[in-house]
Amino acid sequence: MIRAWLVLASVAFAHLVVRTRQTLVATAGVAVGVGFFLAVSGMMSGSQADFIRTLIDSAPHIIVRDEQRAPGPQPAVTAFAGVAVHVRGVRPRDEVRGLKGWSAMLDDARALPGAVAAPSLNGGAAVRFAGRTEAVSLNGIDPRVEGKLIKIEDTLVGGTLASLLTRPDGIIITRPLADRLGAKLGDTLVVTSTVGVLQRMRIVALVEPDARAGFYAGDNAAYALLRTAQVLFARPNIVNQIHIKVGDPDDAQADARVLEARWGYKWESWQERSSDILNLLVVRNVIMYAVISAILLVASFGIYTAVSTSVTDKRRDIAILRAMGFTNRDVQQMFLIEGLVVGVVGALAGFALGTLLLEALARAPLTLDGKPLELPLDRGLGQYAIAGAASLASAVVAAWLPARKASSVDPVEILRGAA
Amino acid sequence: MSVPVLEVAGVTRVLTDPEPVTLVRDVSFAVNAGEFVAIMGPSGCGKSSLLYLLGLLDRPTRGSVRVDGRAMDDLSEAARTAVRLARIGFVFQFHFLLPELTAEANVALPMRRLGRLTNRECDARAEALLAKLGLEGQAHRRPDRMSGGQRQRVAIARALANDPAIILGDEPTGNLDSGNTRLVIDEFQRLAHEEGRAVICVTHDASVAAAADRRIHMLDGRIERDGD
Repeated sequence: MIRAWLVLASVAFAHLVVRTRQTLVATAGVAVGVGFFLAVSGMMSGSQADFIRTLIDSAPHIIVRDEQRAPGPQPAVTAFAGVAVHVRGVRPRDEVRGLKGWSAMLDDARALPGAVAAPSLNGGAAVRFAGRTEAVSLNGIDPRVEGKLIKIEDTLVGGTLASLLTRPDGIIITRPLADRLGAKLGDTLVVTSTVGVLQRMRIVALVEPDARAGFYAGDNAAYALLRTAQVLFARPNIVNQIHIKVGDPDDAQADARVLEARWGYKWESWQERSSDILNLLVVRNVIMYAVISAILLVASFGIYTAVSTSVTDKRRDIAILRAMGFTNRDVQQMFLIEGLVVGVVGALAGFALGTLLLEALARAPLTLDGKPLELPLDRGLGQYAIAGAASLASAVVAAWLPARKASSVDPVEILRGAA
Repeated sequence: MSVPVLEVAGVTRVLTDPEPVTLVRDVSFAVNAGEFVAIMGPSGCGKSSLLYLLGLLDRPTRGSVRVDGRAMDDLSEAARTAVRLARIGFVFQFHFLLPELTAEANVALPMRRLGRLTNRECDARAEALLAKLGLEGQAHRRPDRMSGGQRQRVAIARALANDPAIILGDEPTGNLDSGNTRLVIDEFQRLAHEEGRAVICVTHDASVAAAADRRIHMLDGRIERDGD
């Protein structure tokens, strides 16, 4: 079998070598297709990976909130099971919301493989400075742990999360918010919570929005010590969120489901929070692969033309091969090999071209907000494997049509015509 | 009594497209090993069509073709091709060598496809066959660098590659000068008489016919006369 293939390959090679110009044009077409496939998919895939990494790093992998996915049954419904109950004028009981048994939940979360977890109290507040007021989402955090949960430290200027430990009245706000307020590092803001508690808080650090840092929770996020937030929101010893970072971010969704079933509260994974964006990325990938597959499709026309012309030119040789004792299948395989050789050589040349293009993109002197920007590129073997497989598949399909035509050549008809 | 190497019985070939045309009508004869047969007749009388039927390139509309006593009619195309590869060698009017390959590669090609010999043995046998046909030192030349006579001798070497029992020639001297024609005739006689192969040549050439052991005359697809 292999020997037969080698015999057919030797004739196929000879055909390709003799038709050097057509072979080179077809091979160059595949090489350009594969090269640009790699460059475009490397950019798109790299930017997607970078974006997802930012999604993962910007917030805890799992956030437990003091919410239920569905309201519990009314007591009357439970008391009169099996009968029709219509309850009118339902009003929620006044209660201090928060996670009940959060300490045990925290232990459960920390038991996940490679997990880090911290309690948090979050709420809305107004910050005022020099007559200007802005609304913020204030996060009361444990600075010793929060830095391990989200990649915030790299974006802080003027201080660190630990500054909150040394200044219990400290607050960290974003640079854009500070600019809108006209406040600077070290200034004291008046912070009023939604329950009306007012507190003066000093800016101990600023969050600098930086695309390269891979973290940004929005202009209006603010951070304070957990205990300070509990005082501000008048909810001592209450936490309404648990922030969890798991060992493998991909496991977050499965872990969240298991623990939600155990505890009842809403355990929201980063995948659930970002499902709309992730779905958009799927659509974007479909569009991207459709476009770059079109490049390869065009390249495959080159292979089709080369093999098709070869079949037309070699009709007499096909008849002779058949007269010698080569089968229809041999003839078909011979022309398929021609297409495959063009596909393989073109793909290898395309790998080289794609690598050069990716290198050029990596070295492109781009800037963002005046700072040098390094394009996130995916140069992984997976991209090469996809490009190689796609080019080979298109080469086989492109060569198969003329090869099938070659196999149906009637040698008698050709020999009769040649006689 | 030995079984004929090649035998046709009541063979008819009718083309139906675009109109029914009978190329060969009810032809029967047998060829034994060591026999050199010339098939003669005017152009269009069905000589070449009969040769393609004998060479299993075409199937008869009616009748039977037997090789080594075995009926070929019900065999699959792949099985008929395998018989052709191992038992039949073709020589055409034009050499029909693959122009991309050297003389040696052309001759070795059927051997490599058959797969009985190693590549090295194929090359050695190809070189030996070429030498036997007076082409020493020409093994690595391409057909376009050879004379018409040399090319035809390469084509004969290729036909002999798998040591076939049957050699079929379709006007093998039709494109050669008298000197090369003589060489081909001598070679065909040697193949038949010394090597015991059945050689069947379709020809218009009187010298080929004269050299043959037996002459079959065809007219309008029929055998008009079998013998002198």
